Amino acid sequence: MSRLYLPFILLLLIALQGTTAAFIPNFLLEHGWIIVFHSVFVFLVLFTLFYDLEHTYYSLFFAILSGVLIDIVYTSVVGVYMFSYAITIYFVHGMRKLLHANFFVALLLTVVGIAMADYVLYFIYLFTGFTNIEALDYFYYRMLPTVLINTLIFLLFYLIFKRKLVKWSELRFEKKGSIN
Amino acid sequence: MSFFRRKRLFLILLSLIILVGLVGLTIRDRDQLSAVEEFFQDAVGWVQKVALAPVNYTVNLIGNVDDMRNVYNENQVLKENLAQYQQTLYEVQELRRDNEELLAIIDKTDNIMDYTPIQASVVARSPEAWFNQVTIDRGSQHGVAQDMAVITADGMIGKIQSTSQFTSNVLLLNGFDRSNRISVNVSLPEQDDDARGFILGYNEERNQLVLEFTEYYEEIPEDAFVFSSGLGGVFPKGLEVGSIDEVTTDQYGLTQIAYVSPSANLTDFNHVIVVDRNITSDLDLDEGEEE
Repeated sequence: MSRLYLPFILLLLIALQGTTAAFIPNFLLEHGWIIVFHSVFVFLVLFTLFYDLEHTYYSLFFAILSGVLIDIVYTSVVGVYMFSYAITIYFVHGMRKLLHANFFVALLLTVVGIAMADYVLYFIYLFTGFTNIEALDYFYYRMLPTVLINTLIFLLFYLIFKRKLVKWSELRFEKKGSIN
Repeated sequence: MSFFRRKRLFLILLSLIILVGLVGLTIRDRDQLSAVEEFFQDAVGWVQKVALAPVNYTVNLIGNVDDMRNVYNENQVLKENLAQYQQTLYEVQELRRDNEELLAIIDKTDNIMDYTPIQASVVARSPEAWFNQVTIDRGSQHGVAQDMAVITADGMIGKIQSTSQFTSNVLLLNGFDRSNRISVNVSLPEQDDDARGFILGYNEERNQLVLEFTEYYEEIPEDAFVFSSGLGGVFPKGLEVGSIDEVTTDQYGLTQIAYVSPSANLTDFNHVIVVDRNITSDLDLDEGEEE
């Protein structure tokens, strides 16, 4: 049963991304700040760290899937979010082998992951002509506020999901282990 | 170990190829979404409708409370306006009746200004700031088709970019570029003809639309109204787009351009009207008749 929770939560988060624009205060937009909520990605990082084992790649699978969904639903170009999320989650998964999963590692990997994923988005959108702002402007106006906001989301999600993810992971993989 | 390295390199290269392929396939101007995209769009659309209803309700509530603080002042202004409207209303009624009679005399029933409105609600907005795109809860099953104009009570906000069966995506005015121009007229006072031009795109820095005139006009007053001319073949005539803010020349000094502030609020709206023009242009006659 707990297997179904994860795709369900992800689907809900993807749907909720459609309303995040309403929560960004207007005065920030007037200053030219661009804030993008990567709540799905933050959840995926937690998923990688606390649910996946070292040799399982469920998080990568879900990263690709939710990336494609975001592409289809919210942008007119398919493949950008998919690639960006997948490659960053793959990186986080790789880092997981080196670092022990605790709160500070999760925080660090979220900040680095968000910056990476968002930069990849910027890079591809720049090349495909959907944006033409310069790199410095991008760092100041988009990456900084985006990373800040998503760190807040991370703190919230960590409180809500961390224990549950660990529990579901144990439920799932230990059962499997006992069968083998 | 080297085997794994090679495998990893392989995977990354493969994903790059997939990326380029997918982006290349979907970046073109397409007439229709693929069935897979339509399916996912509709599926997420349903979830959004259910999940976002309470969220939107709360946001609206907060907005309403915010509005209430200005109610008294607004009321004063509105009362003054209302007195003027009474007179205009009477004039409009007279003119409309006149117009109908005259059209009946010459046996002309179709008009480029006529359209069928399709009411729709916004279900989601793109979280990616570089896509000025919103999703509405009406799709091709309800008669929405690509390129139809989308308006609110204040004026035009964009056009339909793509449709699925039960939802569609709206490209907002601030995402317009040279590939989706709007043919517009600017009403000039004390002259019979309107000034003609095209909306070429959106200026991000000024947050205004860029209008290029087809001819040179001596006097274009500021605050003149800009509305769609219907000559582009897709939009009906007479949809309000905005008002002129500044008239200058383009960067080479050859053509006259103007900056237009959109009359509709492009960031904050929940209900829109999709405009289905009654007269179909030659372009979509062969496919537009059934429905």
